[in-house]
Amino acid sequence: MALNVRQPMPDGLLERARAGDAGAFAELVRTHQRSVFSIGWRMLNRRDAAEDLAQDVFLQLYRKLDHIESLEHLGFWLRRVAANLAIDWLRRLPHMGTQPLEAGAEIAAPQREEDPFMSRELDKLLGELTPSARAVMLLRYQEDLDVAEVGAALDMPVNTVKSHIKRSLTQLRSRMIGAKLVAQESV
Amino acid sequence: MSENFENELRRALRPVDAPAGFTERVMRALPEKREPVVASQEPAQRMMKRFAIPMAFAAALVLSVVLGQHVADVQGQRLADEQRAAGLAASRELMQALHVTSQKLDLAYQAVQAPPSPAGDEENRT
Repeated sequence: MALNVRQPMPDGLLERARAGDAGAFAELVRTHQRSVFSIGWRMLNRRDAAEDLAQDVFLQLYRKLDHIESLEHLGFWLRRVAANLAIDWLRRLPHMGTQPLEAGAEIAAPQREEDPFMSRELDKLLGELTPSARAVMLLRYQEDLDVAEVGAALDMPVNTVKSHIKRSLTQLRSRMIGAKLVAQESV
Repeated sequence: MSENFENELRRALRPVDAPAGFTERVMRALPEKREPVVASQEPAQRMMKRFAIPMAFAAALVLSVVLGQHVADVQGQRLADEQRAAGLAASRELMQALHVTSQKLDLAYQAVQAPPSPAGDEENRT
């Protein structure tokens, strides 16, 4: 499974973290916190809930460090746990994911080249998808996993992942054209 | 579906930074001591988990074969004992019959060998 581990990490970091080196574990958290927090933020639409979720994911990681086979596996494991935990939370508290993003939520986002208004609107539109479809879209387009990896992360057949993507893209595209956020020809 | 839209989606959905101090808060929330799994035990436990069911099946199979063999042996032994007992009884009956026959033949022989009685001659004469 070819996963993108975006930042190179020093050799032996995982082994040191397993051996109880707090600094090494903190480095693992720093490396993956953007990814895990972003999954929580876009799934739950709440900054505080996203932080709680991300903390929960890293606490689970701390307990399960011995089961992590490699840094590549670590990246996949964190995304999988974050997405599935967020789906669980949304099933228990269905109103959570449909609330508009908190005011000032964009502060968390770094300065980016793209239109921040469009990003905000897209986040809002993502909130209208079902939790599973939202998780599929985030793992595919935010985390850049391929379709098979998304299926493995969410315990979902590849064909189901593909149909979620197709349906969600159509829905998002039509909503964004309606909101005049994208030109029709670019779609 | 246009690739443009998918690329726009990728750009718009770039990961965002976690809140400041997130790592420190995670580190503070960690339990005091992590209890690592003893390396030498983990593979054994995994092996146990992986092979427990096939091993149970194999053990059940061996046990049933051994038990079946034992039951067959006991039944065979019982059958042989019964046949032996029946054979002995038949042999005893045959011996008894031969003994009785022999006694009868002795009596008949003695009767043939004995001289005729005088009373019998007189009767013949008259």
